[in-house]
Amino acid sequence: MRVLLDKLKEVLYTVIPIAVIVVVLNFTITPLEPHLLWKFLIGTVIIVIGLSIFLLGVDIGITPIGNAIGSGLAKTNKILIVVAAGLVLGFIISAAEPDLHILARQVDMVTSGSVSKTAIVVGVSVGLGAMVALGLARIVYNISLRTVFTIMYFIVFVMGLLASPAFLAISFDSCGATTGALSVPFILALARGVSMLKKDSKASEKDSFGLVGIASIGAILGVLSMDIVSNTGELTGKLEHHSLASESIIMPFFAELPKVAFDVFIALLPILITLIIYQGISRGFSKRAFRRVIMGLLLSFVGLVLFMDGVTAGFMDVGSLVGYKVASLDSKAYILIIGALLGFVTVLAEPAVHVLMQQIEEATSGYIKRGLVGISLSIGIAVAVGLSVLRLLVPGIQLWHYLLPSYLIAIPLMYIVPELFIGIAFDSGGVASGPMTATFILAFIQGAAEAVEGASVLVDGFGMIAMVASTPLIALQILGLIYKIKTRKEA
Amino acid sequence: MNDNPQATDYELIYVIVNHGSGSKVLHRAKKHSITGGTIYLGRGTLKNRVLEFFGIIDERKEIVVMASDTKTADEVIDILDQEFHFEKPHHGIAFTLPVCGVLGSTLYKCDEIHTERGESNTMYSLITTIVDRGKGEFVVDAATKAGAKGATIVNARGSGIHETSRVFAMEIEPEKEMVYILVKNEITEDVVSSIREELKIDEPGKGIIFVQSVNKTHGLHE
Repeated sequence: MRVLLDKLKEVLYTVIPIAVIVVVLNFTITPLEPHLLWKFLIGTVIIVIGLSIFLLGVDIGITPIGNAIGSGLAKTNKILIVVAAGLVLGFIISAAEPDLHILARQVDMVTSGSVSKTAIVVGVSVGLGAMVALGLARIVYNISLRTVFTIMYFIVFVMGLLASPAFLAISFDSCGATTGALSVPFILALARGVSMLKKDSKASEKDSFGLVGIASIGAILGVLSMDIVSNTGELTGKLEHHSLASESIIMPFFAELPKVAFDVFIALLPILITLIIYQGISRGFSKRAFRRVIMGLLLSFVGLVLFMDGVTAGFMDVGSLVGYKVASLDSKAYILIIGALLGFVTVLAEPAVHVLMQQIEEATSGYIKRGLVGISLSIGIAVAVGLSVLRLLVPGIQLWHYLLPSYLIAIPLMYIVPELFIGIAFDSGGVASGPMTATFILAFIQGAAEAVEGASVLVDGFGMIAMVASTPLIALQILGLIYKIKTRKEA
Repeated sequence: MNDNPQATDYELIYVIVNHGSGSKVLHRAKKHSITGGTIYLGRGTLKNRVLEFFGIIDERKEIVVMASDTKTADEVIDILDQEFHFEKPHHGIAFTLPVCGVLGSTLYKCDEIHTERGESNTMYSLITTIVDRGKGEFVVDAATKAGAKGATIVNARGSGIHETSRVFAMEIEPEKEMVYILVKNEITEDVVSSIREELKIDEPGKGIIFVQSVNKTHGLHE
C-alpha cells in the first residue's frame, strides 16, 4: 500500500500550494463566493486523487507500451517501418487530442470559417506525424538534436515571417495544445524505447529526450502552412464564454463528467489500438504483462478523467474570477505577482511534468534530480505567465516581441549546453503546457484580460500557452549550463 | 555451494532502500570514512494481492554500493541500520559481500589483504540472475516457489558473444534484467535450481546465474 501513499504524497506536495494560494487570496484581496470556493476545494481533492491514479497508470501502462513499441520499431531495422509508424502514430495521437479540437474550434470561430476546424486538425496532425517520423529517424541515425532544432526553427522563423501575426500566436499555442497529458508520456516512452537499445550509454541517455520537442514543431508548422495557404486576414468573431450561472457545488462535477470521459477515451484510443496491433504482430508482452498494461491504461483513463473533471468543473471558474478580480484592483503589481506565483506552482501539478521528471531520473540513474528540474520549470513558467500578464497591461507589446528573443536565446544556448539538456529542455516546453495550464492559467489570463481596459480576450487569450511552451527552453538549458560548470569544477 | 568463502579484509556494502533515500545513505556513509559509492535504480518486488490486481507488482528502489575495509564496513552498516531502521519492514536492506581488493582509491591497497581470517558466519547468499528484459518476473516467481522472500530487479543492457548487433546507424545491446535475490544458505541450492529449470538457463543465450556469499545482513525478515 505504501506505493499508493507515496504517489499520493508526491501529488499532494504539488497540488496543495495552488489550493493554499487561492484560499489565501480568498481571505485577503479577492473574496470568492462561498460556493465557488467549495467547488474549488472539492476540485482540488478530485485532482489529487485523479492525478495519483493517472501517474500509476502511466507507470504500469503507457510507459511500458511506449517503450516496447519504440524498441520493437527500431529492431525491425527497416527505415520504412520506422517512418511509416512515426507518421501514423503522430497523426492519430494528435488527431485524438481533445485540446487540439478546442483550439481548432476557436480558430474556426475567430477566422469566421475561412480556416475550418477540420483543416486545422488535419494540418496539425500531418505536421506532428511528419515530425515524429523525423524524430525517430534522428535517433536511429544518430543525428544531433542541435542540427534538427536549428534547421526546424529556422523554417518556423521563415514561415512565421510570411504568416499573419495573429496566426503566429495560434500556431505556437497549438504546439502546446497537441502535446497533452496522454500523448506526452507516450511519445516520451517511445523515444526512450528506441534509445534504450543503444550500446553507447551516453547516447542512450541523451536520445531519450527531444522527441516531444520535435513533435511540437510539427504542430507549429502545420498551422503556419494552413495560414499561408488560406491567406486569412484580420481575426474577427468572438470567443465563446463560460457562464458562471450554476450555484450548485456538486452538480458541475457530474455535468462535466460525460464530456470529459468521452474526450479522454478518444485520446486514449490510439494508444490502445497501437498496443493491440503491436501485440498481434510481435507478441512482445507476455500474457501477464499484457494484462498489466491493459490495467495500466484503465487506471490512466480513470485517473485522467477525474483530473480533467476536477480541473474543468472546479478550477476554471475560480481561475477566471481570481484573474478578473485581481486585475480590477488599483495596483497592477498584484496581478503581475499573483500571475507569476500561480504559474510557479501550477506547472508542478501538470501530469506530464511528473512523467518527464521520472523519465529524466530513470534515464540518468538519478544524476539529474527531479527537484532541480521542477524548480527550473517553475521559474520558467512564472516568468511566462508574468510576461503574459504584462502584455495585457501594456498594449504595445506583441507576442513576437517575447517569442523571437526567447528563441534567439534558446537556439544559440544549444551550442554550449550538454546535449542531454537540449532534449530535456525542448521536451519540457511541450510538457509544461498541459491541461492545467490550458484551463486554469488560461482562464486566469482571460479573466484578467476582461478586467483590463484595452486588452482583448481574443488576441491576448492566445499566446499565453506559447509563452509557457517557450520559457522552459531557456530555463532548463540554463540548468544544463550550471550542471556543466559544476561538474567541470569537481572533476 | 561453498560454505566457506574466503574471508577478506575488504567488503562491498550493498544498501537497497526506497527511491529517493539513496543519496541520503551515501551522504551519511561518507561521514563515517566511506570514500565513495555508486547509486543505481532498481525495482523491489511487492507482495500484495490488491496491488497485484491493479498491475502494481514492484516499487522503485535505489541500490547503493560502497567499498571499504571490513572494520569500517561493520561500523558503517550498523550506523546506517540505526539511522534508517532496516529492522522495520519496508525500510530497506543492507548486506556486505567480500571482495579481493579495491583499486582506484588511495585508501585501499590490494596487497595488504590478510586471507587467513577463517571464521565464516555467513548465513545468506546473494543470487544474481541476468536474463532478457521482461523475464525478470519469471525469475522472481521461480525463486519464490523455492522459498525466496523477495527480489530486486535492475534494468541493464548486455550481450553474450553472439548478441551485439547493429540496427541503422546505432550499435545496440539487448536489454536485460538483473535480479538480486538474498536467500538463506539452506535453500540457495533449491532456489538456483528452480530458476535454472524455469528459465532454461542451461541453454545458450537464456541468461546466467551466479551466487555470492554474504557476510552480514540487515533488514531481512522471515
